[in-house]
Amino acid sequence: MPTVVVIAVLIIALVIVCLVVARPAITAGRGGKILAFLGLFIFPVLAGTLGFENHYERSKQTRFCLSCHIMEPYGKSLYVDDPAYIPAAHFQNNRVPRDEACYTCHTDYTLYTGGVKAKVRGLHHIYAQYIGKPQQPIKLYQPFNNRECLHCHAGARSFEQGATHSAIMDDIKGNQMSCVSSGCHDMVHNVAQLDHLKYWRPQP
Amino acid sequence: MIPLRPDDFISRRLRIAGVLIVLGLIVEAFSLIWNHPLSFVAFLGIGGFLLFLGIVVYLTALVSPRQS
Repeated sequence: MPTVVVIAVLIIALVIVCLVVARPAITAGRGGKILAFLGLFIFPVLAGTLGFENHYERSKQTRFCLSCHIMEPYGKSLYVDDPAYIPAAHFQNNRVPRDEACYTCHTDYTLYTGGVKAKVRGLHHIYAQYIGKPQQPIKLYQPFNNRECLHCHAGARSFEQGATHSAIMDDIKGNQMSCVSSGCHDMVHNVAQLDHLKYWRPQP
Repeated sequence: MIPLRPDDFISRRLRIAGVLIVLGLIVEAFSLIWNHPLSFVAFLGIGGFLLFLGIVVYLTALVSPRQS
């Protein structure tokens, strides 16, 4: 739901509630009671639901992930001018949507499919960012799951029929052999080396 | 102490609920235009809490026995 629509619902709710607060006597009549019910129950619930959905979708965006200072080098790594860097090659060639680049390859993160444990971790990240001290370098909680690669590559002809992948397909699909840490596609974000690299500058 | 009339009781509860909901809606509106890692926490933790509290006050006012 676009933010403008959610804000519009919020404004309508605000107007009705302000009317009821300023003139509670209007609720004596039937129409006033309905108005109060709309303003004090229906519209706030609607605004809260739409707002939650808006925040939920917004937190998938690359710029949301990179709004934490600690994530800046990971955002920078998406512009490395070297096709061996897997995230950079995917980002620059639109193999992942640029505005949801992080979420596309890290679907198990916090609010989405990680469950309650992952949500608690999300709160811990906020604590570490603003009150505590973030661990440097940051690490994934669990090894990178091949599922993140396979939700696009599985079924693709060049992937399924290629000699290299087809020979080890069962190990790849069973997570017995990691795509990114078995020596095959191990150039990922590598943020420790970013100072010595060339960067791609997208044309405006 | 003069007892509240039923209308006063309802009016007071409506005002309290309304003020809580207005504050909640304002926090939610600001959180929607604030691109910051804390915006979701503000939305749910402050805005959502105020809205919830306001709605509970309103609903309890509807079902409470009137003071007379």
